[in-house]
Amino acid sequence: MDVDLIDETEGHAFVIQKSAGKRPQVLPIDDAHPFDLEAYISGYSGRAAVDRLTFIIAVCPSLAPQAFQLAITQMQSLRDTFLYNKTVEAYNNAQKQNEELPPHTDVAIIEQGWSENITAKNNAERTKLEVELKTYSSNMIKESIRMGHRDLGLFYRSIGEYSTSLKHYTKSREFCTTSQHILDMTLSILDLLMEQRNFAHIPTYVYKGEAALEAITGSRVAAANSGNLASKPAAKEKAVAERDRIQAKLDLALAMSYLGQGQYEKAAQAFLKVGPLSGLDGWAGVLIAPGDIAIYGTLCALATYSRAQIQAQLLENDNFGVYIEQEPYVRELIDAYMSSRFKTVLEILERYSTRHFIDIVLSQHVPFLMNSIREHALVLYFQPFASINLERMAAAFGWTSEYLEEQVVALIKKGSIEARVDRQNKVLKARTTDQRAALFQRALKSGSDMQSTNRKLLLRMRLQQADLVVKAPRNAG
Amino acid sequence: MSFAANVAAGNVPPQNRHDVTLDQIVQEITTTDDAKVLNDKLRHLSPRESRDTILSGALTGGQDPLSVLDPERNTIGCLYILAARLHATPAQAPSMRVVEEFCSRFTPEHARLAPERVTQLTKGIIRLAESYGKQKHALGALRDLVTRYPPDLSYLTTVHTQFISHCVATRHFSIALPVLSVPIVNIDTNLSELTYNDNLIYHYAGGIALGALKMWREAEEFFEICVSAPAQVPAAIQMEALKKLTLVQLILYGKTTSLPKYTNQALGRLFRQTPYFRLADMYPRPQPDLQAFVVKETEVFNRDQNSGLVQQVLDCAPRWLIRKATQTYLTLGMSDIAKETGNPNVNENRSIVLSMIDNGEINGTLSEDDTVTFSETTTNITKNDIDKALKNAQEQSSLLLRLERELYASREYLVKVLKHKDDGNWAQDDDSVMGMPHLGGSNAWADDSMFG
Repeated sequence: MDVDLIDETEGHAFVIQKSAGKRPQVLPIDDAHPFDLEAYISGYSGRAAVDRLTFIIAVCPSLAPQAFQLAITQMQSLRDTFLYNKTVEAYNNAQKQNEELPPHTDVAIIEQGWSENITAKNNAERTKLEVELKTYSSNMIKESIRMGHRDLGLFYRSIGEYSTSLKHYTKSREFCTTSQHILDMTLSILDLLMEQRNFAHIPTYVYKGEAALEAITGSRVAAANSGNLASKPAAKEKAVAERDRIQAKLDLALAMSYLGQGQYEKAAQAFLKVGPLSGLDGWAGVLIAPGDIAIYGTLCALATYSRAQIQAQLLENDNFGVYIEQEPYVRELIDAYMSSRFKTVLEILERYSTRHFIDIVLSQHVPFLMNSIREHALVLYFQPFASINLERMAAAFGWTSEYLEEQVVALIKKGSIEARVDRQNKVLKARTTDQRAALFQRALKSGSDMQSTNRKLLLRMRLQQADLVVKAPRNAG
Repeated sequence: MSFAANVAAGNVPPQNRHDVTLDQIVQEITTTDDAKVLNDKLRHLSPRESRDTILSGALTGGQDPLSVLDPERNTIGCLYILAARLHATPAQAPSMRVVEEFCSRFTPEHARLAPERVTQLTKGIIRLAESYGKQKHALGALRDLVTRYPPDLSYLTTVHTQFISHCVATRHFSIALPVLSVPIVNIDTNLSELTYNDNLIYHYAGGIALGALKMWREAEEFFEICVSAPAQVPAAIQMEALKKLTLVQLILYGKTTSLPKYTNQALGRLFRQTPYFRLADMYPRPQPDLQAFVVKETEVFNRDQNSGLVQQVLDCAPRWLIRKATQTYLTLGMSDIAKETGNPNVNENRSIVLSMIDNGEINGTLSEDDTVTFSETTTNITKNDIDKALKNAQEQSSLLLRLERELYASREYLVKVLKHKDDGNWAQDDDSVMGMPHLGGSNAWADDSMFG
């Protein structure tokens, strides 16, 4: 959790620098910003759900009691006793900001003795697994050692000791004998990293997994080809289907990793590549809700893609369409964007801003993505005009003309819009360049630059020929 | 027995040293016609320690040897005597008039035979002027020396360095202009005993002089040459030059441009830690911000003696802000400009805008209600400009062609090529590949210019 907190502050510093947008101090939940916590959290289960709820407690005090309650219920089926402390701590912090919140003991109480119970069980299991591993090691049976490490990895993951878990998983790599084992290991690690939201590490394991997957599919197809004729196509199909299924997971992990690291264009590409929902069993509904894929992918695409790219890669993508159906407003958003109803786009983004900010993964990226979408919209809107009244443009975006001017000026300074603002008459005018004159000017300039560069280089050459080179004083060694 | 015979004998008995008197030397000077022979004789005049004492003495009749010799005909002799006397006791020092006469009349071809004397003479002249307490008196003589001594001004000599440093020290900048306006492209260590410091100091001091004359573009080039001079380790003066270069660029372009790739890497790294880098980074901003930063770092700027330049950088800030605004706006009211520059004084802003329009820095009009309308920048390129540019390009390409030929004929190159040939059979191909495209290239240039 510590790691996440640090990431979050860094992310914020980065976002504030890059854009004016910033997460509001208190996230509003009202008619204009609808949010249904129960429906939202039903998309996740286990530890991921608790983590998300803890995050909500921190960022949205008005939802804190409800989230706390849900978190307590969820965590009783888990085995990590620290989770309870963390959640209580988050709640207390929220309480400090908002005095009206009831004390956490009033909201939900954990079963008496739960913590002691679990700790005792955990200790027993740990001892058991460690003894097992020791026995396997002394017997030197590779396969058993691998499974021993795997079981320990799973165990440590369940009690929240991620680094120990990762250690055991990576250790099991030494005892893998087939590509299938390697693939299993990488998938377990990816599972772990996704749960931990340790996005920086993901790509390494995705590439390892892809290599292993390639090897397996290759050998399976070969086996199918050499098998008897009747079962040939079926076996081949099965192998390919199996590959697609796992590939979907790898793609999703990669996409999340890009998003987590702020590489939005790559993230958009990766999200749009994710295969059908059926491939994500064990992840969808646990680590990530299918709707999330739609939201992350769409926001990234809108923020970085050109219109043609969106058309080709997002709208004409059947796989992704399935995900979009999970969150109807995403479809509305894309439609509004594609038909240039930017006011609607901004309204939808505003309406669901709470939904976005409350998401533990998306939260720190929202300001940048929103800003970027807004800028894209402004640029797109102005494109066909030679000049436009600022008032009219402001109306199209539902802004005041002062705010619009500010935005437009920022874009001009960035070089995204080739135009100038007539401040007196409130008109935005496209810049016309005399290409011929510009060309002449550039040619003349590069000519004189070249001459002076030549002269300087010549002098430099002469200096070097004469060995007039600055050298370190001899005594300085 | 003449002293020349002594030299030839090689082994000079000690008592014979004093046999050489100034009278004999002067005799020798006036009778030897070949300057080279004379120079060899004087250079090997024995013994080294007493040579200068003899040279700076007087003739037997108490006559000044310089009054006997003619600077034009007896350049070498005069040079040796002057150089010696300028370094001897003050009583023996020649008058400035004599020195000036020598500098304006000596024969350059002869003087080039004794470059070390010329360096000595240069230093002596400066010392002489200092002993009078009138440093600027040296400038006339130095200027004659620097313009007459090298084959042309594009050759760097120690005199260059001394002259420009002295100009800067005495704050007589414009006298240096004719020298500074010829860029240095030739280095000949036979012409003058150069060290890398001569090159660095010449360009650094030249940059300061040009900066003081507000010839920023030229100053930039001088500082840049100093900064990017070949270096295994950066010299302190290069760092100082880089600081000044940055300030000059801020005045000239409102931002810094990247240094040539061949600049020593360590220099850039060190520079990043200085306040100059931060100043460049935040420039241009409204004046109050910059002012605050400068006040905070005053100590550093004062210590580097750059506070004058820094102040000019600050003064330019509103201009760059306005220039920037023209990229974004078509019209701006005075109040808007005040917001951009951070200076609420409308009159000051107006006068800045007016002067910018006058100077042609921005293309715009100021209307009665204090609205500035910026028009698109239009550039008129006349046929003459093009012709000039083409002529320049042709000159440049012929210069490069000539240099290339020189290079191909040069000893170092031929030695390398031959060595290559010995190494492998493919050297022949390599040679032709290296030779041909360049010639083709120059033809292409000519074609281009015709086409243009």
